[in-house]
Amino acid sequence: MRNLFAFLFRHHVFFVFILLEIIAVGMLIQSHHYQASRFASSSNAWSGQVLEHFRNSTDYFSLKKMNHLLAEENALLKNRTLEPATQISAIKKGQYQYISAKIIKNSYNKRNNYLTINKGSVHGIENGMGVCVNDGVIGIVRDVTQHYATVMSVLNKNTVISTRFAKSNYFGELLWDGKSHHFAQLHSIEKYVDVSIGDSLITNSFSSIFPEGIPLGTVNRFQRDETENFYAIEVDLSVDFSNIDYVYVIKDLLKKERLKLESKQGE
Amino acid sequence: MSKLIQHIVRFITLVAVQVLILNNVQISGYLNPYVYILFIMLLPPKLPKAFVLVLAFVMGFTIDIFSDSYGIHTAASVLLAYVRPGILSLVSVKGGEDLEDISIKQLRLGRFFTYSGILCFIHHFTLFYLEAFRLNEFLDTFTRALFSTAISLLLILMIESLRSNSKTT
Repeated sequence: MRNLFAFLFRHHVFFVFILLEIIAVGMLIQSHHYQASRFASSSNAWSGQVLEHFRNSTDYFSLKKMNHLLAEENALLKNRTLEPATQISAIKKGQYQYISAKIIKNSYNKRNNYLTINKGSVHGIENGMGVCVNDGVIGIVRDVTQHYATVMSVLNKNTVISTRFAKSNYFGELLWDGKSHHFAQLHSIEKYVDVSIGDSLITNSFSSIFPEGIPLGTVNRFQRDETENFYAIEVDLSVDFSNIDYVYVIKDLLKKERLKLESKQGE
Repeated sequence: MSKLIQHIVRFITLVAVQVLILNNVQISGYLNPYVYILFIMLLPPKLPKAFVLVLAFVMGFTIDIFSDSYGIHTAASVLLAYVRPGILSLVSVKGGEDLEDISIKQLRLGRFFTYSGILCFIHHFTLFYLEAFRLNEFLDTFTRALFSTAISLLLILMIESLRSNSKTT
């Protein structure tokens, strides 16, 4: 027994090292569960505040530009309320609620990018809600505290967005390979689908996260090996992730009902 | 006592610089400089090694909280602290244990460059591979690690030489 203790003490540095590494890697492995909530994320109250204060001071440099953009958006929205409702939104009017939020931490040059927004559970933000801007999809809410939330952006290897062509109903999945923040990859488009450069891609109605019709990007390049059944399609993302400020978080008021119905199919 | 305060100030400054400035600096999408490791590199060699490991853990954890990275900085920093004594004995003449503290003055520039270069590379290598967590992007990740090491090393040397200069004047 004493020899064991002597051994442990002699090599105590090594064991402390192993212990700390296990804790660190443990945190890392835990984070791969999509639904689980973290305590060490930047949506933490105090780190969120620090980031928000810093962001508040740097915002003064872009006030003029923001004002301009917001005025234009106001005009656009005013115009829309005067138009007759489109086919898609007539039935679903009132199903989606948009909560505006501001990005206080952006990131787009890492392998897995997460953003932080300044709204949290007190504002109605929940885990798994979609986040978008006028231009397109930003990502999915991952972690929520009372006043802040982190968003798993499209530029993240864990993000999968259900996508379809605007011109047809063929659908696939949008993934990101980590290379450039301008381009993502569209998978599962079979070889008989008619694809051309410049085709618009939008969200389809399959996910309970995004309403249908939010733009994702356009086809930039595509190719297919003779032996493959699917195209390899490169998508030019419609959102410029290096330049986002205000976003909308999408609350689907009928989400619970739909998920309950869909889960019955598994029985 | 003033040495302790110096170290605490260094901790806070490096975290602030890293989180508020460098995390937002996006150079070509490939390069992520991480200069907070300077804190771990400059800890006095006479400190008990287990304590250095714990300090590295705290440093890495703080950066993780601000960067949403769930543990990769913690893991890489602890590894860095673990290999530090080994690298130090490699580069210094008498094994490194006798040094009061580490700076460009104590080790000459050449040795300091080697010391920080190797540590920086190990840290960044671990970091980027943990982030990718798979081996099929091996070459990509390796390039990232290499270039980020270069930039981080450059920044670290700049900061360190500024610090040394301000002390002697």
